[in-house]
Amino acid sequence: MTAEAPGALDLGKLFAARLHAARVRPYLATALFALRPVESREVPTMGVDRYWRCYVSPAFVDRTPVAELAAVWVHEVAHLLRDHHGRSDRYAREHRLTGPGERLRMNIAADCEINDDVYGEGLARPEDCVTPHRLGLSEGELMEDYLRQFRLGPGLERLAWLDCGSGADGLDRGWELGPDGAHGLSEQERDAIRFRVAQGIRGAPGSAPQGWRRWAEEVFHPPQPWRQLLGSALRSAVSGPGAGEDYHYGRPARRSAGLPRVVLPSLRRRPPRVCVVVDTSGSVSDAELGSALLEVAAICRAVGGRRDLVSVLSCDAAARTVQPLCRTEGIELVGGGGTDLRTGFARALRTRPDVVVVLTDGQTPWPEARPACRTVVGLFPRAGGSYDENDPGYRPDVPPAWARVVTIGSAAGRGMR
Amino acid sequence: MPSCPSDTLPAGRPDAPQLAVAGALLTLLRDTTTEPRADIQLEALTLAVAADLPVLLWGEPGIGKTAALTQLATALDLPLTTVIASVHEPSDFSGLPVVGDDPAVQGVPMAPPDWAVRLVRAGRGLLFLDELSTAPPAVQAALLRLVLERRIGALRLPPGVRIVAAANPRSSAADGWELSPPLANRFVHLQWAHDHDVVVRGLGGTWPRATLPALDPERLPEAVAFARRVVCEFLVARPGLVHRLPNGESRRGGAWPSPRSWEATLRLIAFATAAGSSRDVLSLLVRGTVGDGPGLELLASLDRMDLPDPEMLLADPAGAGLPERGDLRQAVLDGVVAAVRRRPERARWDAAWALLVRAMETGAPDVVVVPATTLASLRREDWAVPAAIEQLAGAVSLSRRADEAARRAARTTGARR
Repeated sequence: MTAEAPGALDLGKLFAARLHAARVRPYLATALFALRPVESREVPTMGVDRYWRCYVSPAFVDRTPVAELAAVWVHEVAHLLRDHHGRSDRYAREHRLTGPGERLRMNIAADCEINDDVYGEGLARPEDCVTPHRLGLSEGELMEDYLRQFRLGPGLERLAWLDCGSGADGLDRGWELGPDGAHGLSEQERDAIRFRVAQGIRGAPGSAPQGWRRWAEEVFHPPQPWRQLLGSALRSAVSGPGAGEDYHYGRPARRSAGLPRVVLPSLRRRPPRVCVVVDTSGSVSDAELGSALLEVAAICRAVGGRRDLVSVLSCDAAARTVQPLCRTEGIELVGGGGTDLRTGFARALRTRPDVVVVLTDGQTPWPEARPACRTVVGLFPRAGGSYDENDPGYRPDVPPAWARVVTIGSAAGRGMR
Repeated sequence: MPSCPSDTLPAGRPDAPQLAVAGALLTLLRDTTTEPRADIQLEALTLAVAADLPVLLWGEPGIGKTAALTQLATALDLPLTTVIASVHEPSDFSGLPVVGDDPAVQGVPMAPPDWAVRLVRAGRGLLFLDELSTAPPAVQAALLRLVLERRIGALRLPPGVRIVAAANPRSSAADGWELSPPLANRFVHLQWAHDHDVVVRGLGGTWPRATLPALDPERLPEAVAFARRVVCEFLVARPGLVHRLPNGESRRGGAWPSPRSWEATLRLIAFATAAGSSRDVLSLLVRGTVGDGPGLELLASLDRMDLPDPEMLLADPAGAGLPERGDLRQAVLDGVVAAVRRRPERARWDAAWALLVRAMETGAPDVVVVPATTLASLRREDWAVPAAIEQLAGAVSLSRRADEAARRAARTTGARR
């Protein structure tokens, strides 16, 4: 296994580094051992392709200490586990980005996502690694977020040598073996490895840093953008029986003329009546409310609710007046104290709606019984919960099981897969 | 299709009727060829249809679902009947009530539509229910009875008829229809996506021709035994996965595990085994039946079943075949060491050392270090150190190098923290 020829790849050093990496990051051991090292003189340092091969430059192994090589192993395997190539391809398609410059930017953004919490705890941080800090960006964000925040320019040209291979940015390189080369992993095998690593992290969450825990939670169940979720919850609520477009026996069908003696239902459209209850207590910010309210109004119109059938009710400790949503702008929201949504519900039900949509941060008592209409709750997440200094054991009630709950403002535009 | 011979082209005749010229142009446009290409989506669909499970294709409109169904019908030699759900009325599927002379005596028969009568008369066919998600709720309700109970009015579809439905994903569905959990549980959900290369090449004149899986009559008993063993062993180990209702807004409407969907999984594994399909195809099917999480776990346990049995390896260390991939190889070696720990005997201990030496000689040495350390700790006082250990010197030095790197890294990262 050991190479004696000058300039040959020092496999012993490379494998010692991998062993060290697997010891300090036991939850990544499966993925590290699944990587297949391939000697390459064209890659500047180390790079991966999407088939889990790892291209290694012999000169780089020679000049790099074992501890630092271990860090590079972890870095490269992180590109693959976090599916940076697939996410780069998707980002490039969505934003119509082409060319090697953009792919370099994706490689840098992917490095930022990895590097902010991958080192330390036994792994040496390589001297010239890219961090969000060096680009003047804040830590802990995702590759897609970083991509929006910087562009190539002066000060970044020294990063132009940076190259983690197609596994990092989705652009195929000349030196890579491609899909038909030896020892590539199939998509199912790659998924299986990622799944096993995620399971290991979830099984023993104490040992992994926050970034990896978040990855493990979301890798096979990425949170969907809240707009889509809220939209589908609302649409299915307003198109349920009794509202929307459906068949009724109230009027004869157009086919009836041709079929005497047969009773047929006819298609009728009954636009849904939607009442939006907005929690205007002090704990919900105006920006949050504004974006969610516009979303609800747009969705209601899209599913056939006439504007005069969508009403908005602001509610803090007491329910205020109900306003029809006749204008696109200028919905007046009043309030600002504590919250009691029970009064809001009671007031909303007096308009006999088909659907009640509640926008709230959830720090409120909820009605005891299920109301007589479908309920969608748009929930603004609050980290840590509320705290009452008179009652440290106080916990706000969670939204009831009969409501469909969509968490708003979290994970928008995020997608780990 | 033969290329258009030039003598049929009316090009030289300026007085040719315009429609004839248009016809010649259309003939030229239709003149395409096909090339063989593996298509795992189509293979999965074929197997699920052959296994007589209702399939639901999720895909954006215009993505080639109908083209795939046409190819499938040809492969299975079934006549294809396409029904666009959104242009029908509920009574087209539940039957038109026809009042006879004396309803009190004869009752009111529910007359089926003509295509259903033709299907029943033919006794076999592929029924494709397109646009399921854009039909009004009452039509969907009538259709689901057709899918699940195979009844149209007074008729019952014969067993030779297979049903495939298609729906748009929730995010793009105009009417926000979604499956309730009991319905979702009865379908095999296949995500239908287009392959960019295939489309571009097809528009250039060459469409793919998938070679579809054929069941091997000789493998049927073996396939059933294998499928039963896979599912039962897995559910014995993971009893919590036998039945788990989907929770959370983002998982609504998808596949989830229940005794019913596990039975479907068992059937699909047997079909995939009998057809000799790849793991990628099986992965699509299993994940589409019981959901991503449980499906991936089952596949992971399948991978483990593929690994050689530790007892067999210990019985014949010289002839042992170890897997190529590092992570699998480590799993096998860990299994061997665990087997020795369960029943520690001198001969087994020696055999395990021989296996480690073999692993050292045929692959990456870092994989061997942890099993070797564990095996060494199992030594009894009266067992002499085997001569084979000499050959593991490489692993020992590797381990020492990693230790040294760890010490150095601890110093530097410790100082930085």
